[in-house]
Amino acid sequence: MSILRSTLTAVLLALLAFAIFGPITNMLIWSVAETWYFPAKLPQSYGFSFWERVFRPQGNAMESLWNSVLIALFTVLASLAVAIPAGLALGRGRLPWRALFLLLFLLPQAFPSIAVHMNIARIFYGLGLNGTYTGVVLVHTIQGLVFSVWIATAAFAAVDRELEEAAANIGASPFTVFRTVTLPLALPGLMASAIFVFLISLDEFTGTFFVGVPDVTTMPLLLFTASMEGNYQIASITALILLVPSVGFMLFIERFLKSDVLAKVGS
Amino acid sequence: MINRKTSVILIAPALALLGLLFLYPLGYSLIWAFRDEELGGWGLQNFIKSWGLYSSDILFTLIIVTLSTAIIGALSVAIGGYLTLGENRVALTILRWLYRWPLFIPFVVAAQLMRTFLAKNGMMNNIIVQAGLMEPLQAASFLDWRGIVITFVWKQTPFVALLVAGAMAALDRSTIEAARNLGAGRTRILFQIVVPQVATTLMVGLILSYVVMMSVLSVPMMINAQTPTMITVDMAWRINAYSDYGVANALGFISYAMTAVIAWVYLRQGVREGGNPA
Amino acid sequence: MRPKIANLFASAAIALVTAGAAHAEGVLNVASGGSQNMVDYVTDYLGPLFEEQNPGWTVNVVGTGPGNAGSQAILEKIKAQAGNDAWDTDVVVMTQLKTGEMVTEGLLQQYVGDIGTGSLATRDTAKVALGTDVEGYVMPMFHSQTAIAYNPDLVSNPPASFDELKTWTAENKGAFGYNGIKNGMSGVAFTAAWMYAYAGNTDQLMNGPYDPELKNGWDAALADLKAFNENVTFTPGNAGTLDMMNRGEIVMGPVWVDMFYTWQADGRLNPGLKLLLPEPGMPGQPYYYAIPAKAENADAARKFIELATSPEVQAEGIVKRFNWYPGIDAQHVEGALDKAVWDKLFTDVTPEDLAAKGKPFPLGPFFDDIREAYELKVSN
Repeated sequence: MSILRSTLTAVLLALLAFAIFGPITNMLIWSVAETWYFPAKLPQSYGFSFWERVFRPQGNAMESLWNSVLIALFTVLASLAVAIPAGLALGRGRLPWRALFLLLFLLPQAFPSIAVHMNIARIFYGLGLNGTYTGVVLVHTIQGLVFSVWIATAAFAAVDRELEEAAANIGASPFTVFRTVTLPLALPGLMASAIFVFLISLDEFTGTFFVGVPDVTTMPLLLFTASMEGNYQIASITALILLVPSVGFMLFIERFLKSDVLAKVGS
Repeated sequence: MINRKTSVILIAPALALLGLLFLYPLGYSLIWAFRDEELGGWGLQNFIKSWGLYSSDILFTLIIVTLSTAIIGALSVAIGGYLTLGENRVALTILRWLYRWPLFIPFVVAAQLMRTFLAKNGMMNNIIVQAGLMEPLQAASFLDWRGIVITFVWKQTPFVALLVAGAMAALDRSTIEAARNLGAGRTRILFQIVVPQVATTLMVGLILSYVVMMSVLSVPMMINAQTPTMITVDMAWRINAYSDYGVANALGFISYAMTAVIAWVYLRQGVREGGNPA
Repeated sequence: MRPKIANLFASAAIALVTAGAAHAEGVLNVASGGSQNMVDYVTDYLGPLFEEQNPGWTVNVVGTGPGNAGSQAILEKIKAQAGNDAWDTDVVVMTQLKTGEMVTEGLLQQYVGDIGTGSLATRDTAKVALGTDVEGYVMPMFHSQTAIAYNPDLVSNPPASFDELKTWTAENKGAFGYNGIKNGMSGVAFTAAWMYAYAGNTDQLMNGPYDPELKNGWDAALADLKAFNENVTFTPGNAGTLDMMNRGEIVMGPVWVDMFYTWQADGRLNPGLKLLLPEPGMPGQPYYYAIPAKAENADAARKFIELATSPEVQAEGIVKRFNWYPGIDAQHVEGALDKAVWDKLFTDVTPEDLAAKGKPFPLGPFFDDIREAYELKVSN
């Protein structure tokens, strides 16, 4: 029985690994393929010439990457700053038309933005935000808002009220209850939303073009054009480059989460 | 419970940001959906035209996205469930390390990878043929609706699974242990104890995934060569080929309505059950 | 938040502020609504050349992607700042359709008369873009052409005309692939070529005058195309056609000549593949250099375009390094190149072929009619 079960687990895991790493292996191979065409099953020749092309001095790849990461970090901060209070109000508050508000926050993702960007750009030009980092961070924050607000709402709604009441009963002020009980319990959800917002910002293309260009350029602006038109080498290299800050951010969040949450829950 | 006044103050910054930087420009754009160029007035002409030209695409989009959401839901419950209830330490470590990777691949790149992976002579079929599991002649291309679903599931499952697994990990273990002591099987514990408690998070994750899939342009564009195709492709086409913002916005409106109806049903249902959903 | 993290964010904030201020004094902003190779052309070749000749200036280029979608993004960005006094984009590189729209909307300025190379481009496409009068507003960067790519190892006797192509696809089901009309311009070009071949009134379709009644006579051609589509494989996009050729899933399909050469150069396409232009021909289009009406650095933009359309740059950059057909008239370029390079450009498609079978896209309103008719009667 247990052997059968272990075998089944192993087979399922192997299938999952194939499903996940099949395409990713494909990507790794393409990133170092110099020649690869029919009928060859694997590249006819390998090399790093496309890496050289991406990182050539005129290409400004490092500067764009740095921009991308900073913008993503600030987008996370900005969206948490507005989403935590909003999530608290939506998850725990007494709010008229609560459902309507939640539906409104879905809009920036749900309405395909292709028709909206021109008008966003018009308003940003009017406000003098075009070509500034603030403008790009704001436009990314709007895109990430649906994730940060909805997830924060769910996280706060899931916090066990009895724990809060217990804290309030022993005389803790509302803010202390929030800081020591509610926030730590909601933190895993909030951190997950931070990861998603970070990724959205890192991959954002169109909003950055309308609001940031020509003064602010990010990695996707530099490389997505090549990716979109079927340059598999550049597409793969782009993904690999963006993987570094993404995974780094996630690991950072998880460390941060473990040490801080455990410390607070324990005290 | 936070009182009404404080609630309004707390949500104000987010609403202000959304209103000024998104709703206001969106309104500008949405107005064109109700503009009737021929009459020079207002009307539903653009919606009639959208339906006439793209009704099959609208249905196609609905089916694809709903199907993908269902598969994503099933897979993420399975992954989250195993992470919570699984006992084999090695398998747990592998799974935990494994499932998240697609999260970090941008949609544009994921679409490109799937295009070369799922094609008739793509890497997947090559591997299966090399492994002797299939004859070369049986190789078929998945670059149609199946390719879109596969790409969506591949990219979005880690997203929902991450949320669900997080919520499951935060559960009070005592009920699970109690049920286990009473001899309940893992499947039963998963569906009767664990899933109901994380239902909110699961639904939120699925709705967010649904929203994302509705608005992605690159995946249907790069993977699906057939007609029908998804609404976003038609929107881009109306604007790029004809500069027709009217029909494009009408399509965007329809696309949003399809999301809003689902989210609304979910929110209403939660209210009826007396909880505070989302 | 712990102090260490706070410090990190503080230093990041400072970096953000200073990075914005660190730009050189003269920055010429170029927006290119074209493929990556068009962006690389400016980044690696034209930009550095301009910077060398104009010390103090920096060229900054951003690409928005190929086809009308990329040009549409540029158009919208310019339109969004129409109320401002100085626009942040100095040179735009765009498709015919979108350039025409921008001229109509008054978003571009006339400059061709002010630059020394203005008289070197005299082809029709330098004056009229799909029926819109753009004379004085544009200089062609290069001309590109669609053609049928095929694998000579598998197709020993390639079809020389659309009639032969019909027979060939009926005999080789699924071996010909194209991308319909929604997924990129090579499929649109193929459809337009089909209409040139079978809808009649070919000259009128290309040169006008527009007649809204003409589309009523297209039913037979469209029904024929629908039947033809039964025997073809649909590909996802311009790149999708090349991609399926790359994997041997189709052996023939319409492609952009410059993309075809780029893919071969990048190792993603069998170097043995060939091109042909079937009777009665297929459309091509130039990409245009234009200057937005209120470009902040219009003088530098003129200098930039003057350099870009000089015979030397057209010879060395456009033809020799990037395999495009020149934007200015061929006789000015041919002299600046050695014969071997010139001939390489015309290996598969000869200059005579190009002159006889390289067509423009249909007149704007006809073009719209063809696309809508396709949506209604072929793909529906």
